[in-house]
Amino acid sequence: MSFRYKSALLSLVSMALVYGWFFATLMLHKFGGRHFSPIASLGGAILALAVVQIVGHMFIAGTSSDKYGAPDERERAFDRRATMVGYYVLIVGALAAIGTLHLGFSAPDVGHAVLLAVIFAECTRQAVFLIAHHRAG
Amino acid sequence: MFPIANNVRAEREARGMTQSELGAAIGLTRQTIAAIEQRHYSPSLEAAFRIARLFGTSVDALFHWEE
Repeated sequence: MSFRYKSALLSLVSMALVYGWFFATLMLHKFGGRHFSPIASLGGAILALAVVQIVGHMFIAGTSSDKYGAPDERERAFDRRATMVGYYVLIVGALAAIGTLHLGFSAPDVGHAVLLAVIFAECTRQAVFLIAHHRAG
Repeated sequence: MFPIANNVRAEREARGMTQSELGAAIGLTRQTIAAIEQRHYSPSLEAAFRIARLFGTSVDALFHWEE
């Protein structure tokens, strides 16, 4: 496995776990009445993600001989494909977030919908990059 | 599998090169060289010319269409 493959896998898993926890807690607050501080939780999620990414990348860099190599044409092609798919997901997510505005949701809810769209698009981008790697052998 | 077959592996092994060495010489990763040799990836025209130049042969001799 190349450094960039491991990096994309780490990013996908860490984002899914950290923001999955954030949105699960948000839903519990919204529908279950659990105490929730959006700013503190979001700040905590961003901080946790930063720590996991930094420590995780230090670890995978230590186990990858190609960590200093620039991406070549094949990896750039994977990246272009992944970014293209992620862009369409972002556009659909942004339109859905605008939709929540017209459905009478509060400003924080619209903000959370925008955040969810951005995270979902980024997770899709990383996932497509990984799938392209797998398919290409 | 891509329809472009190649003799990259045979030419590389004839010169005693590893996939990493070939990749480093032409600016590709070892994984990309492996993918080219297994016909999982068709290199760009530029990469094909770089490989051919390195081996002192022509693109025609290295790559051919095979369905």
